[in-house]
Amino acid sequence: MNALDALGNPIRRKILIELRRAPMPVGALADRFSVSRPAISRHLRVLQDAGLVDSSERGAQNVYAVRLQGFRSVREFIDSFWDAALSRLEELAQK
Amino acid sequence: MTVVKSVDLRCHPERAFALFTEHAGQWWPAHRRHTRQDAPSVIRIEATGRFFERGSDGTEIELGVARAFEPAHRLLLDWYPGTGREHPTQVEVTFEAMDTGTRVTVRHGPGVAGVDLFGLNAPGYDRSWDLVLAALAGCE
Repeated sequence: MNALDALGNPIRRKILIELRRAPMPVGALADRFSVSRPAISRHLRVLQDAGLVDSSERGAQNVYAVRLQGFRSVREFIDSFWDAALSRLEELAQK
Repeated sequence: MTVVKSVDLRCHPERAFALFTEHAGQWWPAHRRHTRQDAPSVIRIEATGRFFERGSDGTEIELGVARAFEPAHRLLLDWYPGTGREHPTQVEVTFEAMDTGTRVTVRHGPGVAGVDLFGLNAPGYDRSWDLVLAALAGCE
């Protein structure tokens, strides 16, 4: 799932907001939600697959944090598209 | 996050606008087309708001919607490529008359994606979008 699709879910957006305030393990995160801990784990996996969340081991726990680089793919797509398009447009205008 | 790009064209704004809208198939990057690449496709942005690609076999794919169509001046597009029609981004194109021709400026940003992605009525909408913007800003 790409970053924008992963962001299409309200619980996942709320997870990102919580993790942006402070990295935390899944248990602490689940305490802030009315949905089950396994559900939170599933959402975290989706976010991790999309590159929006990272985890690191701290003692016996995995601590999750927002991964800012994950938001870069959309920007790169847009950048390269318009670089190619506008240089072609410039050639066309000279004909 | 808004990507801003501009190019100076050696032609009048009227022609620059026509090149951009009627002949988009000629500037659209080949590897970013949806239809078969061995046959040329037509891409058009129309005053009716339609914005589509038509393959040589007649198959049409919607690429977005023109929200504003002001010949020789400005376009405002809901943009599906890259993120899909569920989460359109927004593109504004302006055409500015210069001594030497026309400056075409593209501003491509989240735009309505913010509305579509996070939902105007969803609680915390502002904070959610703020999160994405801050994250994108961190990629600079």
